[in-house]
Amino acid sequence: MANYNVYLVGVGGQGILTIADMIMRAAQALDVPANYYPTKGMAQRGGFVKAQLKLGAETVGPDIRPLGADLGIAMELSESLKSIRYIKPGGTLVVYGYKWQPTAVMLGKAPYPTREDVEKAAADAGLKLVFLDPADQPEDTADNIYLLAATMRHSGLGEVVSEEAITEAIKARWPKGAERNMRSFEAGLAVE
Amino acid sequence: MAKVNLSGNEAAAQAALSSGAKLIVGYPGTPSSEVIGSIWGKKYDGVTIEWSTNEKVAFEEAAACAWAGQRSIVTMKMSGLNVAYDAFISVVYSGCTGGMVVYVADDPGVSAGMPEQDIRGFALMSDVPVLEPSSVLESYTFVQYAFELSEAIQGPVIVRTVSNVSQSHALIELPEAHPIEPRKPHFVNDPFKYTKAGAKICMDQHRDLIARLAAAQVKLHKDGMHKLSLGKKGGKGIVTVGVTSAFLDESLELIKAAGADVEGISTLQLAATLPEATEEFAAMLDNCESILVLEENEPHVEKAISLQAFHEGKNVEIIGKLNGPLSRIGNYTAATCATGMAALFGVEFKMDTAAADDAESHCAARPIGVCAGCPHRGVYMGLIDAVKKLGYKKDEVIITGDIGCTILGSCPPFDCLWTEVAMGASIAMAQGFTHAEWPTPVFATIGDSTFIHAGMPPLVNAVQNEVPITVVIMDNGWTSMTGMQVNPNTAEEFQYPGESRTRVDVVDIVKGLGVKQLWVVDPYDLPKMTDTIVEAAKLPGVKVIVSRRECAIQAGRRKIKYGLSVVDQEKCINCKRCINTTGCAAIVSDENGVHINPSQCNGCGICTYVCPVNAIEKKEV
Ligand SMILES: Cc1ncc(C[n+]2csc(CCOP(=O)(O)OP(=O)(O)O)c2C)c(N)n1
Ligand code: SF4
Ligand code: SF4
Repeated sequence: MANYNVYLVGVGGQGILTIADMIMRAAQALDVPANYYPTKGMAQRGGFVKAQLKLGAETVGPDIRPLGADLGIAMELSESLKSIRYIKPGGTLVVYGYKWQPTAVMLGKAPYPTREDVEKAAADAGLKLVFLDPADQPEDTADNIYLLAATMRHSGLGEVVSEEAITEAIKARWPKGAERNMRSFEAGLAVE
Repeated sequence: MAKVNLSGNEAAAQAALSSGAKLIVGYPGTPSSEVIGSIWGKKYDGVTIEWSTNEKVAFEEAAACAWAGQRSIVTMKMSGLNVAYDAFISVVYSGCTGGMVVYVADDPGVSAGMPEQDIRGFALMSDVPVLEPSSVLESYTFVQYAFELSEAIQGPVIVRTVSNVSQSHALIELPEAHPIEPRKPHFVNDPFKYTKAGAKICMDQHRDLIARLAAAQVKLHKDGMHKLSLGKKGGKGIVTVGVTSAFLDESLELIKAAGADVEGISTLQLAATLPEATEEFAAMLDNCESILVLEENEPHVEKAISLQAFHEGKNVEIIGKLNGPLSRIGNYTAATCATGMAALFGVEFKMDTAAADDAESHCAARPIGVCAGCPHRGVYMGLIDAVKKLGYKKDEVIITGDIGCTILGSCPPFDCLWTEVAMGASIAMAQGFTHAEWPTPVFATIGDSTFIHAGMPPLVNAVQNEVPITVVIMDNGWTSMTGMQVNPNTAEEFQYPGESRTRVDVVDIVKGLGVKQLWVVDPYDLPKMTDTIVEAAKLPGVKVIVSRRECAIQAGRRKIKYGLSVVDQEKCINCKRCINTTGCAAIVSDENGVHINPSQCNGCGICTYVCPVNAIEKKEV
């Protein structure tokens, strides 16, 4: 199997690490070699969080080198810009365009990037951008599962871990919330 | 067999258990905490698991256990070895009879905000083997091997991991366990081995220590721990150690793509920097005309192989950091390794990341800060208000900080802590500034875990010498920054589940240390906190204020809410003072004005004190 590297970014508390964890569990079920390296920062919420997933290779260094990822997944608009360095030209970047504004931005003391900034950055780096506008997300769905499902549809991730393995992993992880989670997953798959 | 999903630290814990460790102790520290964290609260027959008061205590416990012939492992982050080192050097002179593993996590690339020190330097200074796993699987097998090596040479062995190995999760087949028969403790009173009474004893022990390292060198070679693969005679060679071994395949691919002919290359993947792989080095020096050494941080392997080349009269070019393009700073990726290989092969390797530089320049800065509802907020705001009430400007009054979430007062919007040095230093530094005749009162701030770890000696010093300082102990009941471990001051009900362990209250400690001027204040009561600080600052001698309220994250996990604060939109004048002074993430300002996010607010009530028009009200929930 070819190597497939995924670089994930977001803000602590959003559930970005859960996305990586679900992919990891799917890989485990399918016996796909995988190394998952999360960088959580400290105990507080609201800090930058990233995770690096290397799928398909037995011996790998944990970090993804610049221009080494096939796929980027971002859960926050501004933080999505930090993944660009690591994605190969021709790779895919899926951005959930939620804005988690730092205080200085909220007070009008610091700038915050626009959707257009992200689109331009992705284009300059030669990436295929898939942008999910949170305004289009159906009510009462889980952001991260919605994003994961849209990623399955729009990137090569589905060729490495199957949709079925992912949904099984989600169900096994939260037997109670299965109904809502599957609804979130379906909604994500429906994103054009 | 189905593969298991384990992190490097979890794998180390499992290896310790399956190898018959009797004692698993440590002090929390990123990125090492999950060794104990992953087995905390569980029961294993005949095994003691403990978060100790500090790394030196943990180390000494583990050492004595191994002196009694048992197996023990002690875990810590690299800064912890600085604390334990006094005992460490003495114990390694003595050696041990059981198996002792010192598991230390370095952090190249600084993911956890501490000096980027390389603890292999300590190993060199004390002649102790230092095994360096390159993967999650090796985190298991090397801990297992370390116990065997330790018993074979009769001395402690370090396992040095790094952030990206210890924190990585991988799918591994659990290696076969190497269990041992239960042992009875056995220890003989032998001052020649277990004391340092006299020059002869110390020098004899020094000689034995050096002999143990030599024995380890023989054993590592015999056991084939270093992976040597010789290629074309007169060709190129690469030496890797620890995580750089894991990057070898990927970086060779990169450099091949850049035009290098990597056919016939010799490689040596070291399992350890120390003992030096002298035989393997000799084979490489014999076979290669130039050798690249890939190791993060300090050039220890590079120096060793260069020196050996010199002594053997080998005219081999050694490329790395002393001679070559590699840096002592930061962690390596395959791209860094390829940069070294470019120098080895004389090809050009560059990656065009200009688009990324531009993208990142648009990124919003995201400074870290305390959580919504964090009790520390009341201390910072109380200190800032008190300084004003005392008639000083904020930039006149030194407030020393310490390690932990407590240091976040050095970040916006508070910006009120001036220093962060090492566990416990806040209290000693405050005394130093006072001796320097700093013209205003001097304050120290420190968390409960840090106070018990290393804050007691400087406080005794202040009491004895009657140094007029005010110390605020920020007692949130947990060792929070590193992921909420228990400490002696943690409520008894949260001490080891199912076991009887005693809480040691910081207030009792402070009283016992001879502090006469002591207050216990709830930081959620901001006016009281401010008034207490003002009162304390005006008094002579040593003053201690214990700010007591549980970490908001830990309380939140038990669904504790103290209320819910709400902004009355009729009254709010949109001045945003609440956001500017508290920096609480639960308070948002948008096109609809200022409001409070009910899912984030825990009702601490601190923001209600700062609104100039009393528009924020705390409601019962
Ligand atoms: C010598 C040493 N050991 C361990 C650490 C890791 N460490 C950083 S913050 C921290 C916790 C401090 O806990 P506490 O003082 O209670 O403050 P809190 O985070 O709870 O506010 C620890 C253990 C360190 N930096 N240095
Ligand atoms: S983890 Fe606890 S102590 Fe640390 S900032 Fe958050 S609430 Fe405060
Ligand atoms: S009461 Fe105010 S300061 Fe406290 S958590 Fe709620 S919004 Fe934040």
